[in-house]
Formats: sequence, structure tokens, C-alpha cells
Amino acid sequence: MDIFHNLVLGFSVAGTPFNLLLCFVGVFLGTVIGVLPGIGPMTGVALLIPLCFGLPPSSAIILMAGIYYGAMYGGSTTSILVNVPGESSSVVTCLDGHEMAKKGRAGPALAAAAIGSFIAGTFATIMLMAFGPLLAKVALHFGPPEFFALMVMALTVVTSLAGRSMLKALYATLFGLAVAMVGIDLQSGVQRFTFGNPQFMDGIEFLVVAIGLFALTEVFINISEMKHAKEVTMEKIQGGLWLTKEDWKRFWPSCTRGTLSGFFVGGVAGAGAAVASFVSYGVEKRFSKHKAELGTGAIEGVTGPESANNAAAGGSLIYLLCLGIPGSGTTAIMLGALIMFGLQPGPLLFTTQPEFVWGLIASMYIGNIMLLVLNLPLVGMWVKLLSVPEYLLTLFIIVFSFLGVYTMNTSVQDLVLMILFGVIGYGMKRADIPASPVILGMVLGKQMEEKFRQSMVISDGSLSIFFARPIAVVLLLLAVISITNPYWKPCGAYVKSLFPKAKAA
Amino acid sequence: MAASKSIERTASVIMTAFSAVYLAGAYLMIPIPMIKQEVGPSIFPKAVGFLLLGISIANLFIHFKGEVKEDEARAVIIGADDKVETKADLKLMGTIIALMAAYAYLFESLGYPITTFVVFVAGALILDRKHMLRDVIIAIISSFGMYFVFTKLLRVALPPGPLSLFGW
Repeated sequence: MDIFHNLVLGFSVAGTPFNLLLCFVGVFLGTVIGVLPGIGPMTGVALLIPLCFGLPPSSAIILMAGIYYGAMYGGSTTSILVNVPGESSSVVTCLDGHEMAKKGRAGPALAAAAIGSFIAGTFATIMLMAFGPLLAKVALHFGPPEFFALMVMALTVVTSLAGRSMLKALYATLFGLAVAMVGIDLQSGVQRFTFGNPQFMDGIEFLVVAIGLFALTEVFINISEMKHAKEVTMEKIQGGLWLTKEDWKRFWPSCTRGTLSGFFVGGVAGAGAAVASFVSYGVEKRFSKHKAELGTGAIEGVTGPESANNAAAGGSLIYLLCLGIPGSGTTAIMLGALIMFGLQPGPLLFTTQPEFVWGLIASMYIGNIMLLVLNLPLVGMWVKLLSVPEYLLTLFIIVFSFLGVYTMNTSVQDLVLMILFGVIGYGMKRADIPASPVILGMVLGKQMEEKFRQSMVISDGSLSIFFARPIAVVLLLLAVISITNPYWKPCGAYVKSLFPKAKAA
Repeated sequence: MAASKSIERTASVIMTAFSAVYLAGAYLMIPIPMIKQEVGPSIFPKAVGFLLLGISIANLFIHFKGEVKEDEARAVIIGADDKVETKADLKLMGTIIALMAAYAYLFESLGYPITTFVVFVAGALILDRKHMLRDVIIAIISSFGMYFVFTKLLRVALPPGPLSLFGW
């Protein structure tokens, strides 16, 4: 009954004409971002945060969430029609989606992706509704040591899944933590790394870093690659958009498998949407009745991964809302934005701001329906976006970046810092250092330090407090496992090589 | 590949230098607070500094002495970004950075609409000269049009510059 009551409250918030309009604008802009190659969900959400500045928090999160799952969906359209994934979680959709398009079945492929995304998104929302309040209740018993351990785990899980080199990803996370230390230390009033500059006293805004590292870096990459730009060839949509009877028969099992694997692997285990889509493809290869057709244009290869990445996107919102912990780079940006609006996502949010949480949940149902309605009939328009000249896109990114960063604090210094982080971001990209851990480190840095210091006060300065609490121990163990697991195999091989005789015996 | 190797080596040197400077800053630039605390304001930055330095030295060692192993299959599965292999057009990049710096410098004095219009047109001239009329129209929309949307509809303050004389 409680859920029903809360849901009614949520729909009364999300159902106002203004919030419905924002939800529509969000999914529309999100889809645009998803379709445009190069602008991923992280860049998109960071660039569009300024649109939320004049809005109340509940409207702002409705707009941001719309952009987020719109972008997650939009990537599939270009994967199928052009063989160019709009973002990393759509890479695997290219394999079968584009093959289907080449065979003249682009319509059913797009429909399967849209319906699969809708079902998975709705499933993730139901799970958030059912288990979110329970998780928040459990988290209410967390003390500072548990929260510190949780943040360490969130950082290590995201770090372990970012980029090719674990060392570089770890460095990026720590770089984010280092940047977060700039400003006045609230507990002692001491200035840290401010160089006497009054504008640094409040610290460096995460949005300045996020827009610099993602949007401006994209600008520099675009201008370097403009001369080498390749012509894209697009498959035409022939025949109907709808699924045949046979397609429907094959759709349901793969959609169910994709949704479940995406939600649990990508969302609950925190592996993210890209891993979720790959796991789902693996599951299809193992369990599908038509596994032999995968890679040659099987509908399962589209439905599974597309359901999985949307289920993962919804799943990662559970952690954001219930624990205040982002499970991915994009949710880290959303967390930073919410903190900027004066909200502190975490277990208390469900009790202190029910209209905010339930408004968001209701808007997710509405947004998923809007996505379905918006995407299929307008697919021709989305594809046309690919013909926007790259130099215009680049100039738009510059203008939007300046607009966003300036409106935050009306500070020219922020603009200069943003350009600096843009150059750093380009250098990082050239050196293959992932940028998303920087944002995560920045957003969690101050809170992590605060929880650590609170824990130390409780324990009179003894680190043993982290090992005396079972939940903290488990979380820290998980953190160690996530960060060390790539080295287990080489370590095992090395130990084996030390005992060649044992092998022979 | 040679270029990429030299970039990675340069990056590992810069990373180590930054870590060392940060750690030194954590020791030298953070004053001791008046009230004694269990964990002072410099402890966390010092810990971060030590970890940064340790990791950057390990990375430096790998790139100068060891063998760099990359698991491309894993990179695809975790959705790692594509490597940027295209050689940077430093002249063009420098021009765009100078344009952005000028944009930032003039943003308040000339105001959002005028600077944005000028930067957009200048950017279009630098990057593509073939569609000037179209680009000027788009520049007007993204400067004056956006100014109207943000200040009047979204009620977000943007600097009007000299246009304030005309009641903007």
C-alpha cells in the first residue's frame, strides 16, 4: 500500500504539464546526444546541466534522468543503420543490428531495440521502486566507517572497469581526489592548495572539470580528426518497422535474459552498461536457440544487449538514490549536479524528500513510454542528425561549454580553468588515461575524507575501526578483490612457473 | 606505434612530476590548524599524494623498463574509449585554444551575444569556409537566440555587454 501511495505522490509530481514537458525535452535531447557519434551520455549530461539551473530539484532530476536514458537508447539507432555506435554500450549492437539492416531488416532491428529498451527500463524502475526503500532502510544503519568503505568500493569498482591500464585508471581516480582537496577544509577552516586565490576557496566545481575533460577534449579530438573524416554509408530502412510473428517468438526470451543479466551485472554488481551489453551477448551465445545465427543478423543479438544496457542504466540509479554512490561516470555527474542543487542523495532522501524520489521514479515510467513513442516514428529524423557537419557540432560544443560553466558561478576564472582541463583531458586521451574516474574521485573526494575523519574521531585515531565492523570489512574486501583480480592470473602463472616439477608430477 | 610510445612515456614523466609537486604541496602548503584534530587537514592530501607518487613511479617503470601489455579484448568488453591515434594538428589546436581564451577574456566585457556571434563566425572561418551564409545564420541563432532563451525563458543570467544600453 505504501508503494502505491508513494507512486501516486510521484505521478502527481511528474505528471504536471511542466514536468511532462521537461521529461519530453530530456528524452528528446538525450536521444540526440546518443545518436551523435562522439558525444556520449557523460558529455551530454554535463553539457546540458545548465538547462537545469533555474529549475527546482525535482524538475531538474526529471530532465537529467530523461537525458540519461534517452542517450542510452539513442546509441542503438546509429549502431544499426550506420554501424557507428553512438556510445560504448551500443558497440555490441552493431554486430547483429547492422547485419540485419544490410539484409533489409533495419525496421525490425530498430523496433526490437526500442521495445527491449522499454521493457528493460520499466523492469529496472519497478526494481528501484520495490527494493530502493528497503536498501535505503538498511543503509540508515550505516555509520561513517561503513560509508567510507562503501565509497572506497565504489571508486575501486569503477576504476577496475575503466580503460586498458589499471594503473592509469587508479591514477585518474586519485587525480580526482587530489583536485577535490582544493579549497577551505570545512572542519579546520584551513586553506588547501588555494594559492591565496579567493575563487579557489570554495574548491573547484566538478562541472568545470567535467565539461573540460569531456566536452572540450571532444572538441580537440574532432578538430584533429576532421581532415581524416570518413564518409558514412547508411543502410536504408526497407519494409515495415514492426516485428513479425517469428520475430516476437524470438524476442521475448532474449529480452528477458538481457534485462535480467543487464540489471544484475550492470546495475546491482556495478559493472556498468557496456559490460552488461557484452555479458548479455555472451548469454545469448550460450543459451539462445538460434545461437548459430548470432553475428549474421540475429534479432537476439540486438534485443539482448539493448535490453541489458537500459536495465543497467536504471539499476545504477538505485545506488545513486539509495546510497548516494554513483555506479558510473554519468551517474557521478548527476550526483555532482544534485549536490550543486543542495540535495544530498543517500538513504535519508527517501524519507526527507519523498516527492523528489517518487517524482523521479514516476518520470522514469513516463520517460520510457515517451522514448518508445518518440523513437520509432522519428527514426528518419534521428538518422539525419548524422549529416550535421562536424565543425558545426564542434562549435556548438564550445558555445554550450562556455554557457554552462559561466552560468554556474558567473566566473571568468572558471572558463579559463575549463579550457585548462580541456587541454589536460586531451593529453589524457592521447596517453590513454580514462577520464571518468577523475569525476568519480572528485565527486566523492570531500565526502570520503569527511567520513574517514569522522571514523577516526569515533575510534580515537585507530584504523582498527574499519576492521571491527563486519559491513565495512566486507565492502573493503570487495574493493580489494575488484582492484586486484586482473593480477591473480599472472600471479598464479608466476607461482606455477616457480614449481615446474609439481606440474610435471 | 612509436609516436604512441613516446606520448605514453612523456605522460608518465608528467604524472610523476605532478605527483611529486602535489605531495610536496601537501607537506608545505597546508598550515597546521589552531585546534588539534584527530586527523588534520593535511593527512588525506598526503595519503593521496603518496599513492599518486607510488602509482606514477610504477607506471614510469613499466613504460621505460618493462613490457606494456594490453588486453584489447578486455578493453572492448569494459567499453574503454578508443585510442586516439590521429596525429594532433597542433597549429589548428593552438588557434582554437587562442580563440577560446579570447572568448573567455571578452565574455563579460563584450557580453554573451556579441562574443558568441564573433567566436562562432571566426570558428566557422577557421574550420570551414564553404557555407558562410548558413554559418552566419546559425551563429545568430546560437548567440542572440540562445541569449533570449536563457535570460528570458530560463531566467539564467548572462552578461549582455554593451547591449545593456539598448535595454537587453
